[in-house]
Amino acid sequence: MIEVKNLVRTFKSGDRTIKPVNDVSFELEQGTLASIVGKSGSGKSTLLSLLGALDKPTSGDVVVNGVSLASMPDGKLTEYRRRDIGFVFQQFNLIPNLSAVDNVMLPMEFAGIRKAARLARAKELLEQVQLDPEKHVRRINRLSGGEQQRVAIARALANEPKLILADEPTGNLDEQTGEHIIELLSSLSHDHNTTILVVTHDRSLANKTDRRFRLQQGRLVEEPARASVGAAASS
Amino acid sequence: MSVLARSVGNAFRNKVRTGAVVAVLAVAISLALSMLVANQAVAAKVTELNASVGTVLTVNPAGGQGFEGGGEPLTAEQAATAAAVPNVSSVVGTKALRLRNATEAAAQSAAGTQGAGTQAAGPGGGQGGPGGQTTTTLTTSLTAAVDAGTLGGRNQAAEGTTGSTAATQPVRSLPITATGIGAEVDSTGKALEITEGTGLGDYTAESTNALLGTTLAEKNGLKVGSTFTINDKTYTVAGLFDAGTTFGNNALYITLSSAQTLAELPGELSTMIVTVDTLENVDSTKTALQSALGTDKADVTQGQNLETAVSSLDSVKNISFIAFVAALGTAGLIILLIMVMLVRERRREIGVLKAIGAPNRTIGFQFVLEALVLVALGSVVGAAVASFASGGIASALISSNSSTTAATTGRGMPGGAAGFPGGAGLPSGGPFGGASQLLTTVTASASPGVIAAGIAAVFGVAIIGALVPALLTARIRPIEVLRGE
Repeated sequence: MIEVKNLVRTFKSGDRTIKPVNDVSFELEQGTLASIVGKSGSGKSTLLSLLGALDKPTSGDVVVNGVSLASMPDGKLTEYRRRDIGFVFQQFNLIPNLSAVDNVMLPMEFAGIRKAARLARAKELLEQVQLDPEKHVRRINRLSGGEQQRVAIARALANEPKLILADEPTGNLDEQTGEHIIELLSSLSHDHNTTILVVTHDRSLANKTDRRFRLQQGRLVEEPARASVGAAASS
Repeated sequence: MSVLARSVGNAFRNKVRTGAVVAVLAVAISLALSMLVANQAVAAKVTELNASVGTVLTVNPAGGQGFEGGGEPLTAEQAATAAAVPNVSSVVGTKALRLRNATEAAAQSAAGTQGAGTQAAGPGGGQGGPGGQTTTTLTTSLTAAVDAGTLGGRNQAAEGTTGSTAATQPVRSLPITATGIGAEVDSTGKALEITEGTGLGDYTAESTNALLGTTLAEKNGLKVGSTFTINDKTYTVAGLFDAGTTFGNNALYITLSSAQTLAELPGELSTMIVTVDTLENVDSTKTALQSALGTDKADVTQGQNLETAVSSLDSVKNISFIAFVAALGTAGLIILLIMVMLVRERRREIGVLKAIGAPNRTIGFQFVLEALVLVALGSVVGAAVASFASGGIASALISSNSSTTAATTGRGMPGGAAGFPGGAGLPSGGPFGGASQLLTTVTASASPGVIAAGIAAVFGVAIIGALVPALLTARIRPIEVLRGE
């Protein structure tokens, strides 16, 4: 379970103080597939980085399974990212001179998994995201944007994290592959009890999540869930 | 993919840049290795010199050196006195003779420039030069291997100012040095390097055998078994020796007794070569020897030219060591700057690695390994260059120092090279007259051990140089990844 308590993140820009995340609080049960929508610059990525312990909040706290991130030293935060978090970045952020399979193996290498085991798992994950087997050993800079996105998703799944934070995971994919990725994420959350928080502009993706949030001027507002939307529509 | 494989891969991401970095590193590393090779070679030479001739003292007649000339000759009794001094392990007497070509001497005699035959040098060396000791001049069938003009203007001092009456000096060859020796050693106490034939056997007995310098033998077309004359007495070439210098090889050795007989001065010595048992006892023995022989009778010296030579070699050693450290530092600095540049260039990538859970130590280690890959490549090229260039670089260092040393030691030293024509006639121009030659005989070869030690030092410095940027990676926060998004 993830508890976000009065989270605030401020930045100085000249004389101005910007608050992309302003007193955000919410809770997510384990195995929930949630989405955050909002305009560009509304603070979605900032919130994601706070949840993923990439950044530290100005105030407030994120509590994961009863453990406060605010009180964790840097070493523990690294361990938390390695063991409990899977990131899918908007710009993929893959290592350009490594192959697809090597990129997927990286988090497992940091987790101390043996080479044979991580190679097998990397190949399995790349098959799950429907990357052609012949492209598994191809360098990242020789893959298309969509293929790179799939490798990025496979890398996020490598260590079977409890929480996956995905920034526009289907943004560079064609409709068919996007659908498949959504199904994969949904399956992960429901069948493997993985909490998934997706930042997206894609309404259709947001509509398929269990819970939807809208970030406006740093404040998070929960929108009606799928069932409620369906009920409202039918009424 | 392991950290090592990833580091190797990263090192070759930009092949042109990697090539340039390796080339620059190779220059610094080859310079460092060359300097280390020179340093080791010079250190070995200093040790060798100290071990071989560092314990040798030379006894000359008091006042028989330098520009003063003259002095009472040394005697066999004084040799016995010297041998009785504590810590003295051996005393070898020498008797110096000077040989003039009989035909040339007769011609000069006819011209009235100088009488031939046996004569004692007059005051001030008599033979007109600094470094004069009592020296006997005899005639020989041999022709000197050092031609007139070889020494330039100094050649004109062969007859000297005090001994010459002619207004115009005829051009002629230099005298040949003949030394009677009591053991198979040269005038510095070092064993003679006999290249052909044998030694003289019993050096204390009369003998008609002689050892000739290689160039003197070549000049006269003599081989082992050939004969020549000194004062009409026939001598047989028993062996040839190589003194390593032109002057040294324009000389011959006969037994001490033979020389004394030829000079008609039995029991008289030109010098005594005294060997002390250990280097530590040299100073005290020198004092004791001087006291035992009397300051008015003998001068005891400790091969000052050798000290100068060793001092010069020490200077080369220090310079090469400083250059080695500087080149090492340069290599370290190159690595530091390159790695700082790479870290700055890959901030985003480092952030990604941290975001997906890479510990700081893993990232730092990866960058250190990457630096070591570059250093390894630079070391291979640098070692190859150094193996070819180190000899030349060492020679250049040594010759630039030895020219300065030779200029210093060659003037005014007792019996030194500059005083050769009128001097005591010792090979190489004096007890340690070949000091500058000692410098040039340093052999700098790039041994695997020295190269390995140098490369180990380079790697040590490279690790230090790479650690700074590696530590910089720890300061990069993973949020860097999302900054640009």
